[in-house]
Amino acid sequence: MNDTATTRRIKTDKRRASALAVVLVVQALASVFFIADVGRDLRWGGLNPHSVLEAVVALALVLGTTFGALQMRQILNRIKQAETAMSIASGALFDLIEARFQEWELTPAEAEVALFTLKGLDIADIAQARGAAQGTVRAQMTKVYAKANVSGRGQLTSLFIEDLLATSDGGGSREVP
Amino acid sequence: MAEQGHRQGERAWDPLVRLTHWTIALAIVLNGFLVDGDALTHIWIGYTAAGLLALRLLWGLIGPENARFSSFPISLSAASRHIAGLTRGEHKEHRSHNPLGALMVYALWAMLLLVSVTGVMLESEPFPEHEGEYSQHDEDDDEDQGAEIIEELHEVSANLLLLLAALHVGGVVLESRLSGRNLVRPMIFGDKS
Repeated sequence: MNDTATTRRIKTDKRRASALAVVLVVQALASVFFIADVGRDLRWGGLNPHSVLEAVVALALVLGTTFGALQMRQILNRIKQAETAMSIASGALFDLIEARFQEWELTPAEAEVALFTLKGLDIADIAQARGAAQGTVRAQMTKVYAKANVSGRGQLTSLFIEDLLATSDGGGSREVP
Repeated sequence: MAEQGHRQGERAWDPLVRLTHWTIALAIVLNGFLVDGDALTHIWIGYTAAGLLALRLLWGLIGPENARFSSFPISLSAASRHIAGLTRGEHKEHRSHNPLGALMVYALWAMLLLVSVTGVMLESEPFPEHEGEYSQHDEDDDEDQGAEIIEELHEVSANLLLLLAALHVGGVVLESRLSGRNLVRPMIFGDKS
């Protein structure tokens, strides 16, 4: 299946989050060992420039870990938002398609052929997927176009795009220049 | 349609939760069963586990929603309702730990914290240069009494930790069986993508 820009971005973000998790673990371990070392130095050597500097390093590590964790949460939230938006969008399209198919009173076989058509499969592909003769598929598609009152695949597809654009008016997050 | 957005209600653990979970599990198995308690490696693994725990606790404060403490509060009443539901065959979806699992999580963390603290206290020198340097307890030392109590505490809490871990594994298996959902999978692979 082809990746859209959004799914690509989600994948990149997921890789980034995994890498960041590993970095955070390393940072956390480094923090613990540094804090332990500072503790030892303070106990045996008391307060001196060396132990103070080490304490500052330990503090910087802890802060770095904390900010890294905050950044990771942002990435995870971004992934979640993108996934939610995508599932809402695909869910909305699916609902729309189902509603139209019912309205046109397509038979289950015709509905399946119509769905494959919308997904961009050609007659040979659909025939193969359904294990039917190409002639049968062609006849079913003709029926679908007739019931939907369109001239062909292009018009059928644009019906749904039109509907989506109409329904996303106001509700969607369109950017206004 | 091949894919539908049914992932909303499903539990998904983020990479940090998964990483800390399995590395802590590994550390507990190593230090509990495989590495000798007197070995220097034991100390290093112990500090590593403490660091991982600290990171997970930080994540419980500032992490994403289902990793946060607020998503799985300690609630005995919720836990008993959960058990009652299980016996009736009801299965409720939980985005984070289920109420019973939450109790186990806090018990495991508390025990690991106790093991870590007593371990650090036993070891006044975090980074001994040579193995055995730290274990030279003189029998007639004044501090020996205290050290012995701490050592005892360390061993008892470590054994309790192993017991809790075993119960935790048993609980996960049982819950997975009863609910028909594989609880281990999301802890390994995150979500189902």
